[in-house]
Amino acid sequence: MHTLPDAFLAAIARGFPDDFASTDADDLRTYGRDWTRVFEAAPSLIVFPRTTDEVSRLLALANQHRVAVVPSGGRTGLAAGAVACRGEVVLSLSRMRHMAPVDVSGGTVRVQAGAITEVVHQHAGEHDMTWPVDFASKGSSQIGGNIATNAGGVKVIRYGLTRQWVLGLEVVLADGRVLELGGALEKNNTGIDLRQLFIGSEGILGVITEATLKLTRNPGKLDVLLFAVDDLAGVLRLFREVRRAPLVPMAYEFFTDVCLRRVLQHRTLRAPFAAPSSHYVLLEVERGDKLDDWIASLFDRELVRDGVLAQSPQEAADLWSLREGISESLSATGMPHKNDISLPVAALEAFTSRLDAVFQARYPGWEIAVFGHVGDGNLHINVMKPDDMAKAAFLAHAKEADRDMFALVAEHHGSISAEHGIGLLKKAALPYTRTADEIAIMRAMKAVLDPNGILNPGKIFD
Amino acid sequence: MKILVSAKRVSDPNAKLAIAKDGKWIEGDVEYILNPFCENAIECALQIAEANEGTETVAIGIGDDETARFIRQGALARGIDRGILVSAEEASIDSDLIARIYQGVVHREKPDIVLLGKQAIDGDSNQVGQLLAEYLGWPQATFASKVEVSGNKAIVTREVDGGLETLEVSLPCVITADLRLNEPRFASLAGIMKAKKKPFDELEIDDLDLEDTDTKVQIVGLSTPSGRKAGVIVKDVTELVQKLRSEARAI
Repeated sequence: MHTLPDAFLAAIARGFPDDFASTDADDLRTYGRDWTRVFEAAPSLIVFPRTTDEVSRLLALANQHRVAVVPSGGRTGLAAGAVACRGEVVLSLSRMRHMAPVDVSGGTVRVQAGAITEVVHQHAGEHDMTWPVDFASKGSSQIGGNIATNAGGVKVIRYGLTRQWVLGLEVVLADGRVLELGGALEKNNTGIDLRQLFIGSEGILGVITEATLKLTRNPGKLDVLLFAVDDLAGVLRLFREVRRAPLVPMAYEFFTDVCLRRVLQHRTLRAPFAAPSSHYVLLEVERGDKLDDWIASLFDRELVRDGVLAQSPQEAADLWSLREGISESLSATGMPHKNDISLPVAALEAFTSRLDAVFQARYPGWEIAVFGHVGDGNLHINVMKPDDMAKAAFLAHAKEADRDMFALVAEHHGSISAEHGIGLLKKAALPYTRTADEIAIMRAMKAVLDPNGILNPGKIFD
Repeated sequence: MKILVSAKRVSDPNAKLAIAKDGKWIEGDVEYILNPFCENAIECALQIAEANEGTETVAIGIGDDETARFIRQGALARGIDRGILVSAEEASIDSDLIARIYQGVVHREKPDIVLLGKQAIDGDSNQVGQLLAEYLGWPQATFASKVEVSGNKAIVTREVDGGLETLEVSLPCVITADLRLNEPRFASLAGIMKAKKKPFDELEIDDLDLEDTDTKVQIVGLSTPSGRKAGVIVKDVTELVQKLRSEARAI
């Protein structure tokens, strides 16, 4: 059992509102973990600041008493970056969800870190604009967490990562100093861009409390198609066609039949095709009059086995739920060991053909669910725990097998974590993608900004 | 056997609608969908056709070119054999005239079964199937949750208050589809391609030799629902009970 210094607790009781901190067992369990289920949640205290000033005073206090703090957003992360398993104080931004009015001519909106992604979408949507970072967990995830993890998602092929949609940040450092980085400036070439340093830093350098987000126009009407193809080579062949097609693709997602079966089982949805296929592609495009001819040409050249086109917004949502329901369905119907890797798109085919051999050697006959964002070279690989295997044995086995896969990733100049981050989960694998020099520089930056190491200790590196 | 099935477009229930200045219709860039009950009727027609070789299925819609798109993509692309569009301005027809137009098409096509959605989800009138059966003098089975066709009759289970009712109707007949009748299939891309080449007739109301083309219902005005009243926070149970009694009149 971890205990916090009495003087620290007394200072919190003295200096903050009555409902600022909680040791309620439910709160400790809830706020101590994210969507990973590998580590046991064991925080000592959860705090719920309402203002940047409260965050600043809390961090100054924690720094003075050498108390570890885990910044926490919507806790939908998949790398245990927001997990508190060593008696830390969890700093939840959930109460900081204010959103300023949308600046239509500037195309920006200023929000607090705890604003929910989907609520920000609706807020901007009232002005026919959007913040185009979009992913399955948008109903829970928070802006601060998105930025701290440089979240990706399903629209990266069209809009890029979170990094491209953040103009300004307010960040509280470990000692309580507040930095205002960038403001609402589109252009600001005045030395090293510190704002970018905090985007994707997983809470180890500072706590993001507010952000000025860049907005863009809402896309027009969209068409959603689902294709059935024979194999990953077919997925890649079709992608080459999409790249050259007279269409504006919003998303190009693929998943295997293993994923589809789990989703249909968990969500009791109707199957999209009469006969199953090995691989499926979900394509979303801006509606245009060239689609019909393009589709006809795919069939003429036998690039797809079958396909459906959503006839209504409801059908479009139904097709999307086949893709967006995968992660949740895998966890609800079994225990997945997740990997989120990326490769240069050009290397995907060579990589996956070698990967099959690794799977056959390491996981003979196991169920492996693969899906991902082909346009970004991003594969989500989920090895499902066999029903008759204990959790600990399964994790140990998977960890061992990961090494073979990561070596293959490194050989093809890929990344061992494309969009989920490193957190606690992928820490050991970091050297497969980042060199010793790079990691040393990261440590040096950490030492400058957080010399006592109180911010999210143990995440990314020890 | 021959089945005539409805393909009516409706405004998307999730879209925001703007009322026209004269207050009698909607305007602007409205997103339309195929009426979900018509989708159930289409799926039912396809299943009957698949179980009874030699069945011809025909989809009918009333409206303009946009309606034609819904007949093609919503009905023909799913497997209906051919389409008929009767040109009319949707704002200027009522349930009675729709039923009479269908009657005129039935006289030309002579189907054994007319399968309609039980109602359109925008107007919610729920009249066309019943009126049509009356004008044709045919038996009707409305709100169908199960349809079986054998020989010269159809066994139809309908959802009624407090249970199910099973009817046997002789053909020809009118059946209207309820939501639980089936799960409509997706329109396949191959089907969408094929749909472009399927026979498609365009008719004018005048082509149908109707005795009566007057509308009996006039829209006097449309209005949006009044906004929900904001909630209030009560300070204790006593106040809650008092408000439930005096304001909400719930107890």
